[in-house]
Amino acid sequence: MSAVTSSARASAFLRSFTIQGSWNYRTMLGGGFAFALLPVLRQVFRGPQLTEALRRHTEHFNAHPYLAGLALGAAAKLEADGCDPELVRRFKTAIKGPLGGLGDALVWAAWLPATALLGLIAHFSGAPPWLCVLVFLLPYNLGHLALRLWGFRTGLRWGHEVGRVLREAALGRRTETVSRAGALLLGVFAGLVCTVGPAASAAGLRGGASEALWLVLAVGAFVVGLVGGVRVWRPAAVVVVGAVVSILTVAAR
Amino acid sequence: MTLLGASLLGGALALDSTSVAQLMLSRPLAAGFLSGWLSGDLRAGFLAGVILEIYLLVAFPVGGARFPEGATATVVAAATAATHPGPGPLALAVGFGLVWGQLGGWSISGLRNLNIRVVPDPMHSELRPRRVAGGHLLALLLDFVRGALVTGTGVWLADLVVAHLNGRWPLGQPDTVGLFLVGAAVSAGILLQSFGGFRRRRTLFLVGLAGGALGGLLL
Repeated sequence: MSAVTSSARASAFLRSFTIQGSWNYRTMLGGGFAFALLPVLRQVFRGPQLTEALRRHTEHFNAHPYLAGLALGAAAKLEADGCDPELVRRFKTAIKGPLGGLGDALVWAAWLPATALLGLIAHFSGAPPWLCVLVFLLPYNLGHLALRLWGFRTGLRWGHEVGRVLREAALGRRTETVSRAGALLLGVFAGLVCTVGPAASAAGLRGGASEALWLVLAVGAFVVGLVGGVRVWRPAAVVVVGAVVSILTVAAR
Repeated sequence: MTLLGASLLGGALALDSTSVAQLMLSRPLAAGFLSGWLSGDLRAGFLAGVILEIYLLVAFPVGGARFPEGATATVVAAATAATHPGPGPLALAVGFGLVWGQLGGWSISGLRNLNIRVVPDPMHSELRPRRVAGGHLLALLLDFVRGALVTGTGVWLADLVVAHLNGRWPLGQPDTVGLFLVGAAVSAGILLQSFGGFRRRRTLFLVGLAGGALGGLLL
């Protein structure tokens, strides 16, 4: 790694924030990966060797964007250490699946909704809007930036051994913990929304006689979502938009 | 906020949602706050953002999946709700936002197809560093333009729709929000399934539910 300056490493890390910028259905993250790694490759290779290195890294690659830095750091180390190009290729092929699966489960399916629920709970508790946004964005991005930094530094340090470090980090166990917290927060959120009182008023739910009707319908809709899963999301949105159009049509007569 | 301002905000937030940083300023909660604030009615814009956030809690940008675009949809809904006060515009704005989120998602898929031509092909291209960097930066620019166009068109159309239909909306603010929260409850159910399902998480969920209900009564 001695051939690579710290400024090139920092540049690669900052560029990794745009790794999904040229996402496409042929190489997926390939273009973004090569763009992020370019400062390192420029210091290690010249001429035709640089072209070949770019070819290796513009090839198909996909991972969760926050964990892609782990593969990026490891690839930077492998290239700087003069590893066999075929080893670099095999390493990237082997690591992309776990990085995608672990990242999606931890960040998109657990961390993001859990922190968003914090902001929503703050809103339904009557907090001012700026505080609700802060309560969501601050913890979310603390976790997000820590994950990016950890991934890139781990990759740079351990190279092709990052698979072992990834296992030891036990991201699956962390996902389970965040999911539990998310379920608790979802309960708190539902309790606040359903409560007849100032919280319901903050939500605009104090509607007199119609309040109970909305509550019963909401419980029914919740059960539909719980049983039907993500496939009922679009039909539900269509029903709501249809209801708005129907109400307008009836009102116009 | 002018149409140009809304378009630029939509373009910037569209970048945040996938292409640059993903700091989640593009989530409806934050985007509704920004749009409402810039449009002159923070509370109305933020309420539109809150409703859309609950709907989109389960819209994760996973891999190549096509998902509704929350950023542009929220700027459209929040800017419209903030510009025209009252429950009618809120209903129309959020309904329009839900439709526009789908269109935004399709535009992302279109851009990803276009990006195949923008980024260098590893098998055939003459791969110079400038070509790699140029292709990537052009794709970023295209995503910004896409987001701005989707948002600008949406705000313009939503403004026309609200101006035309506003007076016909018969429900008051509580019933309007109630209607949307019923739809959003579907997302909450899906989210509990995503967190592990009712059977595995029922204790935590019910403890939270009781705590939340108690907290709501005491507030």
